[in-house]
Amino acid sequence: MPLAAVMLLPLVWMLVTSVETLAESRHFPPTIVPSGIHWENYPNALDSAPFGRFFANSLVVTLASVAGNLVFCSLAGYAFARLRFFGRDVIFIVLLATLMVPFQVTMIPTFLIVQHLGLVNSLGALIAPNLVTPFGIFLLRQFFRTLPVDLEEAARIDGCSRLGVLFRVVLPLSMPALATLGIVTFLWTWNDFLWPLIAISSTDQSTVQLGLASFQGAHQTRWTLLMAGNVVALAPMLLVFVFAQRWFVQSIAATGVKG
Amino acid sequence: MTRRLLGSEHAAGWLFVLPAVVLIGVFGIIPIGWALLLSFQHNDLLTAPTWVGAANYRELVHDPVFRDSIRRTIIYTLLFVPLSVGGALGVALFLYRPIRLSRFYRTAVFVPVATSTVATGIIFNWLLDPTYGIANFLLGKVGLGPYGFFQDPDQALYAIVAMTVWGWLGFDVIIYLAALQGIPQDLLEAAELDNAGRWGTFRHVILPLLSPATLFLIVWSTINALQVFDEIYVTTRGGPLHATTVLVYYLYNQAFELFHAGYAAAVAEVLFAITLVFSIAQLWIGNRRVHYTS
Amino acid sequence: MRRVLLLAVLAAAVIASGCGGSGSSASGGKVNIVLWHGYVDVEGNALNAAAKRFNATHPKIHVTVQNYGNADYALQKVLTAIRGGSYPDIVYLYGSWAANMARTPKAVDVAPLIKADPSINWNDFWPAERQAVTVGDKIVGVPALVDNLALVYNKKLFDQAGIPHPTADWTWDDLRAAAKKLTDPSAKQFGWAYVADGSEDTVWRFDALLWQAGGDILTPDGKHAAFNSEAGVKAATLLQQMATVDHSVYLDNGNGNYANLFNSGKIGMLFTGPWDLSSFPDVDYGIQILPGDVNHNTISGPDQWVMLDNGDDRRNAAWTFLKWFTSADEAMRWSIATGDLPIRASQTRTPDYPKYTAKYPGIDTFVQNEENAVKARPVIPTYNEISQAMGQAIQAVLLGKAEPKAALDQAAQQVDQILAQGS
Repeated sequence: MPLAAVMLLPLVWMLVTSVETLAESRHFPPTIVPSGIHWENYPNALDSAPFGRFFANSLVVTLASVAGNLVFCSLAGYAFARLRFFGRDVIFIVLLATLMVPFQVTMIPTFLIVQHLGLVNSLGALIAPNLVTPFGIFLLRQFFRTLPVDLEEAARIDGCSRLGVLFRVVLPLSMPALATLGIVTFLWTWNDFLWPLIAISSTDQSTVQLGLASFQGAHQTRWTLLMAGNVVALAPMLLVFVFAQRWFVQSIAATGVKG
Repeated sequence: MTRRLLGSEHAAGWLFVLPAVVLIGVFGIIPIGWALLLSFQHNDLLTAPTWVGAANYRELVHDPVFRDSIRRTIIYTLLFVPLSVGGALGVALFLYRPIRLSRFYRTAVFVPVATSTVATGIIFNWLLDPTYGIANFLLGKVGLGPYGFFQDPDQALYAIVAMTVWGWLGFDVIIYLAALQGIPQDLLEAAELDNAGRWGTFRHVILPLLSPATLFLIVWSTINALQVFDEIYVTTRGGPLHATTVLVYYLYNQAFELFHAGYAAAVAEVLFAITLVFSIAQLWIGNRRVHYTS
Repeated sequence: MRRVLLLAVLAAAVIASGCGGSGSSASGGKVNIVLWHGYVDVEGNALNAAAKRFNATHPKIHVTVQNYGNADYALQKVLTAIRGGSYPDIVYLYGSWAANMARTPKAVDVAPLIKADPSINWNDFWPAERQAVTVGDKIVGVPALVDNLALVYNKKLFDQAGIPHPTADWTWDDLRAAAKKLTDPSAKQFGWAYVADGSEDTVWRFDALLWQAGGDILTPDGKHAAFNSEAGVKAATLLQQMATVDHSVYLDNGNGNYANLFNSGKIGMLFTGPWDLSSFPDVDYGIQILPGDVNHNTISGPDQWVMLDNGDDRRNAAWTFLKWFTSADEAMRWSIATGDLPIRASQTRTPDYPKYTAKYPGIDTFVQNEENAVKARPVIPTYNEISQAMGQAIQAVLLGKAEPKAALDQAAQQVDQILAQGS
């Protein structure tokens, strides 16, 4: 499908650039077919900075954020979807409203808060603000509301606590939504650049995106290394996506799990 | 009595949302309050600020670049949201069928979303270059163009629309794919038995059942579209001649290039108000039109 | 179950994360200072090596060098750090930020330090550098980098078109004629390139032309715009004619494609600086001073090391480091390693200087050209706003959307307002 070709174009270009020589990359229009495959760009890129450390840091931060979101957004999303409590709709709007102010404005006070908590220049600074996002709450609220409520009512009648209903009845039926939330949270946290830039100043705590930025000088950019780094950084994302597909895609021809 | 209260729905509701409220309260609401205070100051973030009351807001009213940036942001949003959500619906429906290589296509559609903005900017700068880009080359073959794209003040904003729709479509697609999971098989089979046809099934079964996801995507895309920045930063930088100076870009320029952080915060508050209005309107309409299975 | 898992992950994360600091005061007699920079690659390595050398020879001070990522984002990071109260001792900043940095009490005024310690040999730095860090009575930094604009051209394209190579006597007419001859639409080849995104990149090239025609950016009292004078209109008209009539100019939209195009042999001439030279491995390029009008003025874009105040001990340590790092010998070492221009005039007389010119062919022209950097852009807090007004005007002219005089007049009006309001 031509659409697929259009979508894949950047990946192709990144791959091509990552195996070129630096001189070749300094051409415009860009060369589509490199003269040879210079795999050494990959180890060169990864050696130029402690990328192993960066990957580990990024992974810790991202997994923690995903875990946090899955738990807290499920709880809150369920409450907004099914429970009636005082101030529910107002709180929902307020939480959603926090998405409406651009980060460029909130990043300085956020930094001050993180500093106050003693988390500056630590992975905690990267995790804490990302443990829950109104996006996830909104997403799960919508999905939970599409589930048939009789299953939940039946479980309640059977004496299940509300928490139990959530964990034993609702969540197993929400795998597609949870998988989607997981993927998206993974993606955003993994690709986050501006906040780690501000919150982290030492190499030990840097993430992959910060590491990649070091390939871009003020006047010079080492495209080949940058793209090699980008390809490697992209890989976990795509792996997660491919792996998680089984949870949110089932062909319409397959027998449905839900009746 | 206490037991009734503790077991009551109110208490449960509050307990469930408590962690989220606390975390978002600390990391979301406090910074926004700070930003509000900032908007009432003349502050360059370097020296001691001065309180100026509503002076920043008064200045905004007389600022032609600001007014234009509102107009541009809204035009951008009104184009981006229908194109990305509508386009994603089409793609998701297509990918939901048992076609060959569906897994490959799905991953392909997702790639732009996972690609960094920097790489996307470089690609599009190349594709849309007026002299050397492939776009004009291909358009020339069918007798169109050449177009200035990023370099033409009349076209730049639309080029950005194209670029961001390309970059975000896959995201909407996976949301829709997940939502399509939730459509019970028997409903679809019943529609088939009723001879509803493809279009009928779509209009009367699939579309209503997807409406929760659609509402979500519309609200979410609107919020994001009103704040578009990164893609503009790596391509047109608000130009040419302010053609792509949208609200957040204007704000960034004021705060970090001209050192008018207080003014920038005022811009942010106006943006916040606009976004809030849009979202509340959409949610209110959504509550009446969206179909949740009960 | 899930809850436990989450707690475990959180706990692991908190334990795994250390708590970074930002330098510390004297501990056991040693003063630790932190330096932030945006150097990568060759320059990054040179800086790390220099820091190592310094630490080895100065046992009482330890310099930690930290890369803050792209220098474009540096300002956001530095502002946040200053607001947050934990900032480095030395930070590399673009010259365009000097005037604003001077306003924070945290920025150290170097003037008294120079007075008390003339061993830094302040007047040895090029005039353009000294001008760029002087904001009124304050001197807000120590020169880190100097460069200037010269004419870089593709020798092969000139030979192919049968045009004699540019000389030091070239005029604007020569430039225009050559650009026209080197432009070939069928081969998608342009004679010249200009960064037309309306940013400072657009403005500072125009400034060089403006000065060459005998004009100025502001009036001597600094209260009014002066760039819409006859000289300014002349300069803008040259751009208009070349871009919209001759179509001999590739308009770069700020993403640096011009460098790759030049390297691919698609552009004949550039106004650019030494930083771009390593992007042209495939071109046999020549370097000449800018073609002139009344004079051959060029423009210099110095960057600086700004010192931030973390107390007496750290400030003194930072000063010691900067004196050492910018000394003629160390600076020469730096230039040889990185290709950056010498920051001190006396470097041209050090024994290692010929090594430098041998390693980087043509660099000597840039060094000589530094003497043509007679005028400088105003170092005032409102400069960025002025630049944006000018940039819009020039961009409009280049795109054919406005006439030179009208565009410059309108920008001058805006600038007068900006200057009247102060900041």
